[in-house]
Amino acid sequence: MHFIWEGLQQAVHMILHDNGELRHILWVTLHVGVVATVVAAVVGIPLGLLFGLGSFRGRRIGVALLNAGLGLPPVVVGLIVALLLFRGAPLGGLEWIYTVEGMILAQAILALPLVAAFTATAVGAVAPALLDQARALGASRRQVYGLALREARVGVLGALIAAFGSAVSEVGAVVLVGGNIHGQTQTLASAVLTEVAAGEYGTAIAIGIILLGLIVVCGGMLTAIQQHGTGDDEGAPWFRWRAS
Amino acid sequence: MSAPARPPAGAVAPAPALAVRGLTVRRGRLEVLRGIDLELRRGEVTVLLGPNGAGKSTLFGAVMGSIEPAGGRIEVEGRVAAAAQNAAFARRGVRANVELALAWWGVPRSERPRRAAAALAELGVGGLAERPARVLSGGEARRVHLARVLAVRPDVLLLDEPFAGLDPTARADVLYDLAAVLRDEDRATCVVVHDRAEAWALADRVLVLLAGRIAASGPPAEVLERPPSPAVARFLGFSGEIAIGDEVLMLRPGQVRLDPGGDLGGEVARKIPVEDGVRLELAVAGGRVFAVAPSPGPAVGERVALRAEGGIRFPRAAP
Repeated sequence: MHFIWEGLQQAVHMILHDNGELRHILWVTLHVGVVATVVAAVVGIPLGLLFGLGSFRGRRIGVALLNAGLGLPPVVVGLIVALLLFRGAPLGGLEWIYTVEGMILAQAILALPLVAAFTATAVGAVAPALLDQARALGASRRQVYGLALREARVGVLGALIAAFGSAVSEVGAVVLVGGNIHGQTQTLASAVLTEVAAGEYGTAIAIGIILLGLIVVCGGMLTAIQQHGTGDDEGAPWFRWRAS
Repeated sequence: MSAPARPPAGAVAPAPALAVRGLTVRRGRLEVLRGIDLELRRGEVTVLLGPNGAGKSTLFGAVMGSIEPAGGRIEVEGRVAAAAQNAAFARRGVRANVELALAWWGVPRSERPRRAAAALAELGVGGLAERPARVLSGGEARRVHLARVLAVRPDVLLLDEPFAGLDPTARADVLYDLAAVLRDEDRATCVVVHDRAEAWALADRVLVLLAGRIAASGPPAEVLERPPSPAVARFLGFSGEIAIGDEVLMLRPGQVRLDPGGDLGGEVARKIPVEDGVRLELAVAGGRVFAVAPSPGPAVGERVALRAEGGIRFPRAAP
């Protein structure tokens, strides 16, 4: 308990007397988390819609693969991404090894099955009678998918919350791809690792508390949007679906 | 909406809005629909009657394109909309749900509020426009469901059991309100119902679908009062049958009266209390008939005299 109290005090001190170092780590963490979640959403939500609502050969295998992807080991993903990004490797030309972009790629790969699998489950649970009625009234496939997504928005936002949480707190892939370079690719999670390795447990706890605070604040904001959309009203104004 | 304009005598009938020719649908080796010929004309309400499993929903599915036929042709002049049995709504208000349907149909955004309001008012639910759709009662939900499909103004409208799941009072209310707004000279309408009374209230023409075939087709008075075959008669409530020579006399319970001066004799085989008295199953020479009598009615095993009023006769060999 002493360590935690000391860490809490140190966390407050770091926040109040930050010389820019903490701000940079925080920025890298948020940058990686937000962009990786957006990339995973842009790719994963359409994939989830396709696997949740489509009827085509191989759909079940696809869903099984997405579900298996929920258990992807971050260290293995990080290793493969790093090997692909090394100079001379297939993606070496991107020059993303030991960069924030490389970390975003690794985190997006880890978050993608999470977003896609949860979206597929959420839209698959939308009442088939509603979707059939939409088709019977001339709705296009795009409109039916839009309707399903809007109806399943609570589940889909849940997937995004989980994806963001994973992207900001994951450490294995981030260290392997980003190199945990102080002042460049260090995130809050990888900074905890560095401090622990250096025996600075107080600082590690302080950074851990800041990371937890970040997750609580961002997760809380997403949850507020999610819960706002659970009623039978038009939903949150920034999440309103306009049929065209 | 206005009453349909009837063509003058001798005029050539306009092309049907929907024509189904020789439609066959298979599920595996089973033929669910066999050689269905059907025409729906604008301004006409066709009621489709049939027992569960007769193929009514399959017929609608084939017309909507969600079920692939094994044979035959479906020709549509215009667009088809259908209202499914279950009134499922998006998590929105009533008005928003109707406007959403109009959006799916392709109605310009500027027209949607006016058309949604008009359709809701027509079905008597204009006052519920801002209420969340998922808190509606069964009858309200059914009215909003119907308003939604009427609002899109299709050329062909298919309604699959629009009164399913409603209590008798709500059922009657929705039936009479729907009957008042359903007929439209620009629209051909087909409604699946289970009940003869509903068919009487709605139909210009009645079709009876039995075991995947159209077993009867014609005006309500013709089909419901003079069914063309014993199988159709049985389905339409002619449950009593008496063999008389080479013929079978088929009777509805309302056509059999207990009458001390009656020319038929029978014995009460079963007695079941019903709303209007007791329903009697009576064994008579050559068959069995049903009658409704005031309570308490004769005891089981008691012999009674009967009079048959009306009924319909078929040759005994008829299917």
